[in-house]
Amino acid sequence: MGQNTKKRRPSLGSVMTYVVLVLAALYSFWPILVMALEGYQIDLAPLFSGKAVRSIGGVPFYSGGIYPTPIHYIDAIKIVAFPRLLGNTSLIAAISISVALAAGVTAAYALARLPVRGKGFITYTLLALRAVSPFALIVPLYIFFTRNGLWDTYLGVGLAEEVAILSMVVWMLRGFFTDIPKEVYDAAAVFGASEWQIFRRVALRMVIPGIVVTSLFAFVLIWNEFPISEILTGPVTKTVAVGVWSGLGETTNSFMEVSFDDLNAAGFLAWIPAIIVILAIRRYLAKGYSLGTASSK
Amino acid sequence: MAKSSRRAESYRYWYLVLVPLLAILTLVEFYPLVDGVRLSLTGSSGQLSLSNYSQMLTDRSFWSAVSVSLAYTIGSTVICIALGLGLTYLVTQKVRGRGYFEAIYVFPLATAPIVVGTLWSPSSTWDDIQSFLHFILHQPYFNELSIGFFFPVMVFSEAWEWAPLVMLVALSIINSQSPQIFEAAELHGASALQKFRMVGLPMVLRSPVMQFVIVLRMIDAMGSFAIPLSWSNWVGYPYNVGSPVDTLSLFMYKLIFIPEYGFPIGLVSAVAVALLAVTLVVAFVLIRMMGRALPLSGGG
Repeated sequence: MGQNTKKRRPSLGSVMTYVVLVLAALYSFWPILVMALEGYQIDLAPLFSGKAVRSIGGVPFYSGGIYPTPIHYIDAIKIVAFPRLLGNTSLIAAISISVALAAGVTAAYALARLPVRGKGFITYTLLALRAVSPFALIVPLYIFFTRNGLWDTYLGVGLAEEVAILSMVVWMLRGFFTDIPKEVYDAAAVFGASEWQIFRRVALRMVIPGIVVTSLFAFVLIWNEFPISEILTGPVTKTVAVGVWSGLGETTNSFMEVSFDDLNAAGFLAWIPAIIVILAIRRYLAKGYSLGTASSK
Repeated sequence: MAKSSRRAESYRYWYLVLVPLLAILTLVEFYPLVDGVRLSLTGSSGQLSLSNYSQMLTDRSFWSAVSVSLAYTIGSTVICIALGLGLTYLVTQKVRGRGYFEAIYVFPLATAPIVVGTLWSPSSTWDDIQSFLHFILHQPYFNELSIGFFFPVMVFSEAWEWAPLVMLVALSIINSQSPQIFEAAELHGASALQKFRMVGLPMVLRSPVMQFVIVLRMIDAMGSFAIPLSWSNWVGYPYNVGSPVDTLSLFMYKLIFIPEYGFPIGLVSAVAVALLAVTLVVAFVLIRMMGRALPLSGGG
């Protein structure tokens, strides 16, 4: 009965719900849409005003209005050197994620399951380090990197990005190992498998999806990471996040200012890979950002 | 008995797998932390000295940065939680297509903070909002260079980016509970809003996982850098410290890179140590919370 009355009066209620849902969607994607269109030199302000006004530095100016042109996207690709930035970031992310996985997978397994020495210390140290702002490390790292020829090298920046991802990688993998039912481990032990065999033949295979998710998540963190790459990359290894702010001006056109519209075009290009990955691992985002404590369902 | 001791024996060498992890941590975390403390205690002529700290504590720009960081952290976290819970309420409504809305609400999370700084800048989104307010609602123009305007917008943009995270965590908490709790509330005649306010909301806010994520969010907001950096350009403070958008991180960044300040390594390190001290206190809180959210069990 209650079900029926509920179904009979959806009209106003559910229309209102949809209106609010759509408004909230606008709030979520409007700024991103503005960025995408700004890159095409399409200013939506005239839609609201009938007048093409844009304020620059607090002062209303006549705005370009709607004059679609792909020129800023071409600029973003040529002047901001977007493909180069993309290659740099991918290489740095690949180095950083490989190192994190090489050091992290077995460690996460041990931290999840085994009574190894120093387990509590390392687990909680990783957690505490997650709280340390990169700015607490950046000056000594900067000095160390410049003195040892690691500044502006792919290896150096890749290692430095461990600051951004390592805690998350180990904690998240540890969560995936803990999620494997205890019975699985017991069964393997009953068949006489050694701990190493249990890890290699059973646990590792079961967490491969977890490793993929963790790597993708780490990729997004590195892709969007700004402070470390801003300070430790130079003209050679500049990443996307740094490039969308400053362009690649130093090496290609040092006298050329990257325009606001170019920044928007580049910013939108940079957003596309990130959103694809984010939506692909949407179910696991809560888990990733909470270091594996939230459930993934 | 024999078996269990054989097993214990086989764990003996497993601590070796932690060695590579510790090596990386030593290189990029422990060494810089220790070296940072050393640099902060080194005076101008290389002697052991507290002069950097006294310089820091008497620097008005430092205290300005501290208060900006605090206001930024508290403001953005509170707004972020409110927005995130609002989004959670919306996507838990029983309407068709809510999965698509949920996906759209996640969009801001994929945006790099430095891009968020551009998105909400006066010449992007505020352009449209200004036009709307001015020409449709006939309101006067905001002065975008007044602190009463740009500071709230900057704080809001940080919250805008991370509100979807609160939503996702809240959803994972609600979905991990038995739906019967909500069905019971429904049987008692609770409306959608009542169900959320009286059942969902307490469930989410009392969850150790949510509290943990909120503390993490506060830590990240405390160290926020990219959004204030871009705002310092939009509102005309790119080259001076102590501006109303200078958070602690931005303060340090400007000291390092603006030639006029000459990279005062000792002073910057002292600020880094101060920042570290705050984070260690928060990290301690985090560890206590993590103990509740996910007991460190032996497993297996």
